[in-house]
Amino acid sequence: MTQTQTQTPPPNGGLGQAMAAEADHEDTGIDTMYLTFPVGDETYGVPITLVTEIVGMQRVMSVPDVPHYIRGVINLRGKVIPLMDVRLRFGMAERAYDDRTVVIVLDVGNAPVGLIVDGVSEVVDIPADRLDRAAGFGGDGTSVVQALGHVGDRVAILLDVPVLVSDVEVMRPAMADA
Amino acid sequence: MTAEVDTEARAAAGGALLRVSSDKIGRLMDLVGELSLSVAETVGSADLAGLDLTDFEAAAHRLSMIVREVQDAATELRLVPVAEVFRRLKRTIRELERETGKSFDLVIEGEETAIDKLVADRLYDPLLHVVRNSADHGIEPPEDRRAAGKPEKGRILLAAAQVGSEVRIRVADDGRGLSREKILKKARERGFFGPEEEPEPAQLWKMIFEPGFSTAEAVTTLSGRGVGMDVLNTTMKDLRGRIAVDSAEAQGTTVSLHIPVSLAFLDSILLRLGRQLFTVPVEDISEIVKPAAADLIRVSARGGQEMLQLRGVLVPVCRLETFYRGLPPADKPLSDMVAIVFNTAAGPIAVPIDEVMDRQQVVMKPLSGALAQVRASWGCALLASGEVAIVLDCERLAAEALR
Repeated sequence: MTQTQTQTPPPNGGLGQAMAAEADHEDTGIDTMYLTFPVGDETYGVPITLVTEIVGMQRVMSVPDVPHYIRGVINLRGKVIPLMDVRLRFGMAERAYDDRTVVIVLDVGNAPVGLIVDGVSEVVDIPADRLDRAAGFGGDGTSVVQALGHVGDRVAILLDVPVLVSDVEVMRPAMADA
Repeated sequence: MTAEVDTEARAAAGGALLRVSSDKIGRLMDLVGELSLSVAETVGSADLAGLDLTDFEAAAHRLSMIVREVQDAATELRLVPVAEVFRRLKRTIRELERETGKSFDLVIEGEETAIDKLVADRLYDPLLHVVRNSADHGIEPPEDRRAAGKPEKGRILLAAAQVGSEVRIRVADDGRGLSREKILKKARERGFFGPEEEPEPAQLWKMIFEPGFSTAEAVTTLSGRGVGMDVLNTTMKDLRGRIAVDSAEAQGTTVSLHIPVSLAFLDSILLRLGRQLFTVPVEDISEIVKPAAADLIRVSARGGQEMLQLRGVLVPVCRLETFYRGLPPADKPLSDMVAIVFNTAAGPIAVPIDEVMDRQQVVMKPLSGALAQVRASWGCALLASGEVAIVLDCERLAAEALR
């Protein structure tokens, strides 16, 4: 976990104050934390606040009437969770699931959804001033990419999860050129 | 008012009633659902194959019976009498008297009928709408009633009764009834029926529940804006309910809401089509037939529609492989399959599947998020095997597939 927080040090005070500041620190901290995962050569991230758990690949049961990138559902301790293959969602080449393949379970507006990803990397903290909204990555609710986040010298592609789980088309290379 | 007296008597008897938050009961229901799944999983475990299990099987059988009873008892926890809803409607009807200047005799029957609290909480709005329609459009002004030889006071009946696993709530009035002429004219304008088509009464009356379908000449403050119908339709859809209307000109209108007693568990038949599992509420199935090749007719002139001849009646075949996107295409002749026949409001339909697997009490889960797009379904069902099946809503399947 990278520590890049620029928190003002607590003023000279009693232990109670320091603890309050500590709690406050944690509060603001979690909102800027992202779970990152590789998809091919790219690194993606989702807000950690939306992640409920990470589980290994399970037996998927297919469901009719859903887009092709929804591979089906799993029964996770009595909860029925649709699984989205992010490779298919992004129009990338399909890849056979292996023992590193995991499912990131997210809770979006009370509807759970699982993302099938190639693996998970780490939880990183990306404060707002390290977010890059260049090149039209605006986070305006129409693109699945909310922003590009700088993590050291690497870049994590931060996903707008509500848009990701909606039917909004992912921009294809040809369209991006236009 | 038996239920009320009963409640008071018990309360007076000293702490016999317990207030419990619905969250706690919801949690219990979830756990009982999971318990019943785990028990089924344990009892049916593949590890047990080939073992001599005489004692185990007897114990397992007993365990399953107990779990079933626990399930029933947990479901019962959430049942409340419909009296509460009826009482609220009674107050509303008094208000309606003031607003319309008409007076009504309110008759209440079967208010002790028990229903899931979650259902009861959502019944008021749709019922209010039906009652308003009766008060406003159904029952004539006193002078018209006198002229028609009816008592001046209109009669509104609110009745509830349990029939099988359904509760049927009827709102009946002795008003002017629905006008076939007006509704048919409007339905034809809106393109629901052809100019020459003469629909069955039950089918025609259903039109009044179409959004924005109001034949009221004057839009009043009470009704006729077509807004309430949306509430009614959405609620009934959520509650897995059905609406039936019966009317006779000059004699009155009866609207019946048929709603399952409990939303948590569903007594269902499990069906397999290829690798896809479906399940349907037991009471929806009218019959299961093994079609012979001679009973099948294919109409190439109408998109290859298949018809099944059943005791001289032609039943349209609705293939799920064709209806649903993403299922492997239909490749088997119908004579190699099993046909499930449903009686729907749009007439009977036959749905071919590969195999009828089991009768099971399943836990229903709503289709949310990415699954909300699944058509003609009540939700998904968790099976004892841990698998997930789509719960078919044959009414919507018929309505959408035969369109």
